[in-house]
Amino acid sequence: MEQELLQLQAEAETKLSTLEDLKDLEELRVRYLGRKGLFTGLLRQLGQVAAEDRPRLGKLANQIKEDLDQKFTARKSELAASDIGGAEGRDDLSLPGRMAPFGCLHPVTQIMDEVCSIFIDLGFAVAEGPDVELDYYNFEALNIPKHHPARDMHDTFYINDSILLRTHTSPMQIRAMEKERPPLRIIAPGKVYRCDSDITHTPMFHQVEGFLVDRKVSFADLKGVLAVFCQKMFDQADIGLRFRPSFFPFTEPSAEVDIGCVICRGKGCRVCKQTGWLEILGAGMIDPEVLKMVDYDPEEFSGFAFGLGIERIAMLKYGIDDIRLFYENDLRFLNQF
Amino acid sequence: MKFTLNWLKEYIDLDLPVDVVADKLTMLGLEVDNVDELYQELEVIKVAKIIDVRPHPDADRLSLCDVTVGEETFQVVCGAPNARPELLTAIALPGSTMPGGLMVKKTAIRGQESSGMLCSEKDLGISEDHSGIMELPDISSPGQSLPEAISLRDTLIEVDLTPNRPDCTSVIGIAREIAGFTGQKMNLPVKNDLPKLNGEGVPFSVEVLDPEDCPRYAARLLKNVSIGPSPWWLRKRLLSIGLRPINNVVDITNLVMLEYGQPLHAFDFDRLGGSKIIVRRARGGEDIVTLDGEKRELDQEMLLICDAEKPVAVAGVMGGENSEVMDSTKNILLESACFNPLSVRRTARHLNLGTEASYRFERGVDPELAPRAMERAVQLLVEIAGAEAVDNGYDCVAGIAAREIIKLRVSRTNDLLGLQLNSMEITRCLESIELQVAQADDDTLLVTVPSFRVDLEREVDLIEEVARLQGYNEIPTTMPIVPMSFPEQQPGLELRKKLAAMLVSQGFYEAINYSFVDENYFDRLKLNDNDPTRKAVTLLNPLSEDQKIMRTMMLPSLLQNLSRNTSRQNNDIRLFEIGKVFHPVVDEPLPNENMRVAGVLSGRRHPGSSLLHFETAAVDVYDCKGIVESILQEVRLSKVVTSVSRNEASTVPNYIQPDSYIVFQTVDKQLGALGKIDNDVLKAFGIKQDVFFFDLDLDMITDIQPEPKSFRQLPKFPSVDRDIALVVPEAVGAGELLSAIDNAREALVESVEIFDVYRGDSVGAGNKSVAITLTYRSAEQTLDDSTVNKVHQRLIQMLEKDFQGKLREAV
Repeated sequence: MEQELLQLQAEAETKLSTLEDLKDLEELRVRYLGRKGLFTGLLRQLGQVAAEDRPRLGKLANQIKEDLDQKFTARKSELAASDIGGAEGRDDLSLPGRMAPFGCLHPVTQIMDEVCSIFIDLGFAVAEGPDVELDYYNFEALNIPKHHPARDMHDTFYINDSILLRTHTSPMQIRAMEKERPPLRIIAPGKVYRCDSDITHTPMFHQVEGFLVDRKVSFADLKGVLAVFCQKMFDQADIGLRFRPSFFPFTEPSAEVDIGCVICRGKGCRVCKQTGWLEILGAGMIDPEVLKMVDYDPEEFSGFAFGLGIERIAMLKYGIDDIRLFYENDLRFLNQF
Repeated sequence: MKFTLNWLKEYIDLDLPVDVVADKLTMLGLEVDNVDELYQELEVIKVAKIIDVRPHPDADRLSLCDVTVGEETFQVVCGAPNARPELLTAIALPGSTMPGGLMVKKTAIRGQESSGMLCSEKDLGISEDHSGIMELPDISSPGQSLPEAISLRDTLIEVDLTPNRPDCTSVIGIAREIAGFTGQKMNLPVKNDLPKLNGEGVPFSVEVLDPEDCPRYAARLLKNVSIGPSPWWLRKRLLSIGLRPINNVVDITNLVMLEYGQPLHAFDFDRLGGSKIIVRRARGGEDIVTLDGEKRELDQEMLLICDAEKPVAVAGVMGGENSEVMDSTKNILLESACFNPLSVRRTARHLNLGTEASYRFERGVDPELAPRAMERAVQLLVEIAGAEAVDNGYDCVAGIAAREIIKLRVSRTNDLLGLQLNSMEITRCLESIELQVAQADDDTLLVTVPSFRVDLEREVDLIEEVARLQGYNEIPTTMPIVPMSFPEQQPGLELRKKLAAMLVSQGFYEAINYSFVDENYFDRLKLNDNDPTRKAVTLLNPLSEDQKIMRTMMLPSLLQNLSRNTSRQNNDIRLFEIGKVFHPVVDEPLPNENMRVAGVLSGRRHPGSSLLHFETAAVDVYDCKGIVESILQEVRLSKVVTSVSRNEASTVPNYIQPDSYIVFQTVDKQLGALGKIDNDVLKAFGIKQDVFFFDLDLDMITDIQPEPKSFRQLPKFPSVDRDIALVVPEAVGAGELLSAIDNAREALVESVEIFDVYRGDSVGAGNKSVAITLTYRSAEQTLDDSTVNKVHQRLIQMLEKDFQGKLREAV
């Protein structure tokens, strides 16, 4: 018995030292040390040896098993190490780690999330509406009647006479105000559509509309909220901000908002066409006609609204020069963000 | 709106630098889009004087000119018919570059030396005139640069006008805005009082039958006009903003329109039947051939200008060919009118015909402008075209509505803007742009708006003017004071973000595709003709055929993305998209918009990771299934959602390989599916490698109640593992064994797991051996063998019976 045990040990050790493959090692382990392995088989015979030899042989068997276990483990890590070229069994830490790389969100989603979270922190609620919209919500209720020149500002995709793809996220102003009474603080992110396609236009793009309605809301408040937004969005506490008069049928006064160019810091560069300013959003006080459409009394309530294009911000933040890249979904583009 | 600095200076003394002017205009809401120095490229072109001209010895059409640009005389070969001695013309000397980019060299033409090129206006990009070389006025001197010699130097300014400012569709309108902030007086071209026009004693008549659509119609007759090219100053004006000069009459009407913003139209008087103008709506079936040569069908809402017999113009849009001014025209009837914006816009839309005139009328032309612009044009016609103006004319004003006085509250102004202005300051503001202000009481101002500001109708319009003139940047920056409330966020938004994050952590990149797709995707996916997925919302005016319908499924766009990437050697692909599909709903105006999450996997299982650590195996259906399973587990839906593999041909969509289709469902609804894309479909999308996809209904996932989190005591007693290797027929799904054990609801079974599936001779053909580990545990005691064995045996018997299984051996 003792002889057999020692023989088994020697045999296992020889084989262990000559094998070169982790798979072979595992096979060898099962063959000798497995539940139905040779060693276990031998131990089962322990009951048949003389009673006085049993404790000694039992002890020896356990020692050999432990010893073999250790040798198997050692050999295993040795093989594993040599598998990837570690000299003298040491790990070569200059080799790359065993990565399972993450993917990433689309840059538009990343910017959209950033924009939304700033307004959520300011207490705004997020509301989404349909992409396929009624003419009523997209135009009529926003003080853009049929045959109004302002419709020229929107190249609209139509489904039929009264149904279209929304050209902006502003219809959510109406949908939200129809449902609730002030105070309201809402942002409406989403896809919008215009029939236009070139290096700075894609027929689908993303906007975030925001609006706040309550008693005594003023243009100064609009400026305050947008100033905070621009500072946070561009992570620049002293960011230049400029409000210019403009025209939107659903706001009055209306403004276009420029930030100091984030590329050249206002000195003038190609991106800001040497003006030092970048147009970043449109805004204004909600027009009394719009408030009347949803049965708010413009004498009692006032509010502001603003809208911004996500792709534009992404292009500025990341220096992307062709908007069409966003929708080609080329991994070489996507994996840069 | 385009104009030049020199043009602006006709009406206002301006010594501000152009960038200051541009900045001021921008900050007044007249956004300057572009500032351009004109004709800079022509500085290299010089004035040349022709000394002598003789025929080219070897070419009939060419001549040899001796020219000078100062001292010496040299020879230039020229083909222009008007080359003659003493002519001052333009020359591009050797070494100079033409506007088109051509470099002029000293050369020989048919054996004759030519040191430069004499230029036509077209050569220099000044106009389309290529009839001969330029003829410059005598005051220019040889050697001078061309822009200096003919005063071409100017600055073009382009303003992006918003639709509410029709008054600024004219150079005078822009000048008036500038006068508002410089405080200067304007110098307008018509200074005299306007003649009274009452129709007496003129040889024609005007009748306005629809004063609502035509609030004002003025007309005058000009006799013995001599049609010809305009003088240089007039052509230069038009050229400077990119307009092509035609003849003196057309150029004058264009100039006055650009100057004042009043569109004018000239009729050939002798072609007007009955010497009569009637302004009326079109009758059914009428048509007209407009100046562009197109025949236009008219409808009864369109306003026409007619003579006694026929339509001669579409009011406010375009004149008719039948009364067009031609070279032979002697007498013209000049129209200066005001038309209803809505009417003009509607007509222009319906005829799909936008013109400079309709652009202005649609936005609203000042009704007081007609007689003034008319007077300016008459003066120019007399001066330039030698016309004799018939003294009287018509001016029908029946449709002009009186303008109301607008009440403006000081308090309201300050509340809305967040300012603290007093009534004096507000008055000063408004008066600077020619509004008249009277004080009614402490808080109320009565404001009269000049006729050219058609956009100012309400109190809020005036408040905007105050803000604009004060300067938006003078308004303070404050934060709104709003009662605190809890914002209810869009349902599903959080879940959407969570799902996206999970997929990203699984190595997926997010794609965003257009909501509109190519209709032929359905065929490429081999969808049956009657497949309900084919029913889509269709765009009336798609940009292209491949963006024609709103997508009804996520998969095609992702396959398109995959194809694009593999064709650019990105072969390891994990892409997902969260977006909407659109399904028309019977009897509903708007389609159903369904938010979904879908993904495609292809290529290596471990992309982007060193080959050192992972083998190069390709993804398979278990990778795809595992992703969906881990998502369902993470959103705590794995208990409510079951996966069923479908392989009956009738239930598997044609775009999926039949033996790879798995459907995820709740008790009553299908939540989504996954599978391997059919090979024909891959070919149709130009993909040469296996692709797996999944597609789940995100709205449904949002709606299902997830399994609540609730704590279970940690086990106090050890567990016992027992293995089973069961030989079952191939048809039995290994997963079914797990469900069967689950459904047996043995209290002591803590978990169950498949650890091997084996096929081989030892288990017999058509069979497989499934090895399962069961973990037993009791919450009350340490389990002994006999207790475990009892349960274990029960389960083995159940499995053997239900699945025609045979225990292989206890492992």
